[in-house]
Amino acid sequence: MINNRKYDVIVIGAGPSGVSSAINCAKKGLKVLIVDLNSNSGGQIYRAPPKTYKSISKKLEENVIQNKLSDEIKKFKIETAYNHTVWQVSPGFKVNAFNETSTIQWQSKSLIIATGTYEKIIPFEGWTIPGVIGLAACTVILKAHHFIPSKKIVLAGNGPLLMLVAYYVIQFGGKVDAIIDTSSKIDWIKSTLSLITNPKNFRDGIKWIFKIFLKRIPFYSNSTVEKAFEVDGGINVKIRNLKNGKAKNIISETIAIGHGLIPSTDITRLLRAEHIYDEQKGGWIAKVDRFLRSSISGVYIAGDGAGISGALAATDKGLLASSALLYDEKFISQTEFDHNTYKILKKLDKYEVFAKAIFKLNSTPKKLIESINNGTVICRCEDITKSEILRAVDQGAKDINQIKSWTRLGMGPCQGRTCHYATSKIVAEYLNCEIDNLGYLTGRSPIRPVPLDRVLGDFDYEKITKVEAAPL
Amino acid sequence: MDLRVSNYFDRSNKVNINVNNKKIEAYEGECLAVVLFVNNIKKLRLSPKKRQSRGMFCLMGSCQECVVLIDDKKVISCNVFIKDGMKIKVGDFDK
Ligand code: FES
Repeated sequence: MINNRKYDVIVIGAGPSGVSSAINCAKKGLKVLIVDLNSNSGGQIYRAPPKTYKSISKKLEENVIQNKLSDEIKKFKIETAYNHTVWQVSPGFKVNAFNETSTIQWQSKSLIIATGTYEKIIPFEGWTIPGVIGLAACTVILKAHHFIPSKKIVLAGNGPLLMLVAYYVIQFGGKVDAIIDTSSKIDWIKSTLSLITNPKNFRDGIKWIFKIFLKRIPFYSNSTVEKAFEVDGGINVKIRNLKNGKAKNIISETIAIGHGLIPSTDITRLLRAEHIYDEQKGGWIAKVDRFLRSSISGVYIAGDGAGISGALAATDKGLLASSALLYDEKFISQTEFDHNTYKILKKLDKYEVFAKAIFKLNSTPKKLIESINNGTVICRCEDITKSEILRAVDQGAKDINQIKSWTRLGMGPCQGRTCHYATSKIVAEYLNCEIDNLGYLTGRSPIRPVPLDRVLGDFDYEKITKVEAAPL
Repeated sequence: MDLRVSNYFDRSNKVNINVNNKKIEAYEGECLAVVLFVNNIKKLRLSPKKRQSRGMFCLMGSCQECVVLIDDKKVISCNVFIKDGMKIKVGDFDK
């Protein structure tokens, strides 16, 4: 269905930065639409519980923040399109989405892309077994859906999510069989100390670590899951120490794994915006100026999409991007713009310290990439293994797009979201080159699979105008 | 063991869904992928080439691994809220 509703600005993503930018624009009288795949605002970090859940007395902090976001959206009467998956964005700007029943197209003069991040996961042999899930998925199960994923769980990867998930699993009555962390204890101490400037995060960190310590959870530093396979009653997890090479097997029910976050660039790649590689900011990111303008006029990137700086910075990044838009479209004066952005930029500098500390914990050690066995499936959608990728490279595939045409990697339903980062790392390691040299996957629509029945809609077969067959 | 955490929210009505002709109890509005997972229905579909079992992975609509059939239509189950009487097929449906 082409609906052709026109807006001044469409905000894609209703996380904290999407919401703050939408409100900033609405306050100045712009006609705003905010689109999100989920059924409510909050994004992933403050993901809302299902609508049928009725809150009783106590509330998780995340749920309180989410409530505030949805109240503000209501207060400023911002139009929302929840449960809508964006599958195509084209210049001009036309945004195509689908929901449970149909497809729709909206138009706008400007775009604010606030699509956040995906989880970065470095594969291991057996990461495709059902029962191995992302750490971020685990936080959603715990904090939004209010379930424990399984009675027993192994948490692996690195960074603060490891601790946060461990904390909630224990708090909610589950059992953590082991924490397997690619970082060392020293990395943790260093990063935690640098968080002192950020009391809230510092307090959270200490709270999590304390709980984990009290429960005496086996903690494997400098280690990774090398391999996992199904056994009776669960999954056998082979742990490998990346420093001394020692291995150990344990059995658990579920593994949750994650190595940090990757900025989502689906839409900016589709729009052919310029991108740069910045390991510290999460990998390939859309190139932006100080005020979060992308290389395409009218397209602004709020939140973590143009570099990870975390949830605390998200709101301010939303304000920054939308202030740039308001100024460019002459809704605010130079003085107002300077006044607003000066304060925000100062605040954002402070958050950078925090982002850097987190980055250290989430860095991808060379040894981790080397530890991936050759038979490991890297592209889950198309079942492409590490050795198939390296064979393509040996045969002459020079960049990631050539690897795609050679092997079908990145051509499946996820469009490379799950394997792009790991593939770049594996190939750069193999060729001993910079990831920049390998390029990034060209954006292709649809960025999410579109069900054909939604595109077709309802029609009577008899009413279709039949075209005469061309003469032979 | 029920893996639901009920300290913060009350669920709504109890309903039944049908998974490969087996009755599963759940609460209306709960996330389908999660309910299947905690009921140990983890193998949702087969991968295209190696025909390996796959299941819920990212839980945020990115990986597309959690596809199942609901009323004979393919959907990502992490974005589906349970309704009474839903008919779900998992496993080798993608022939
Ligand atoms: S679990 Fe990844 S899309 Fe549903």
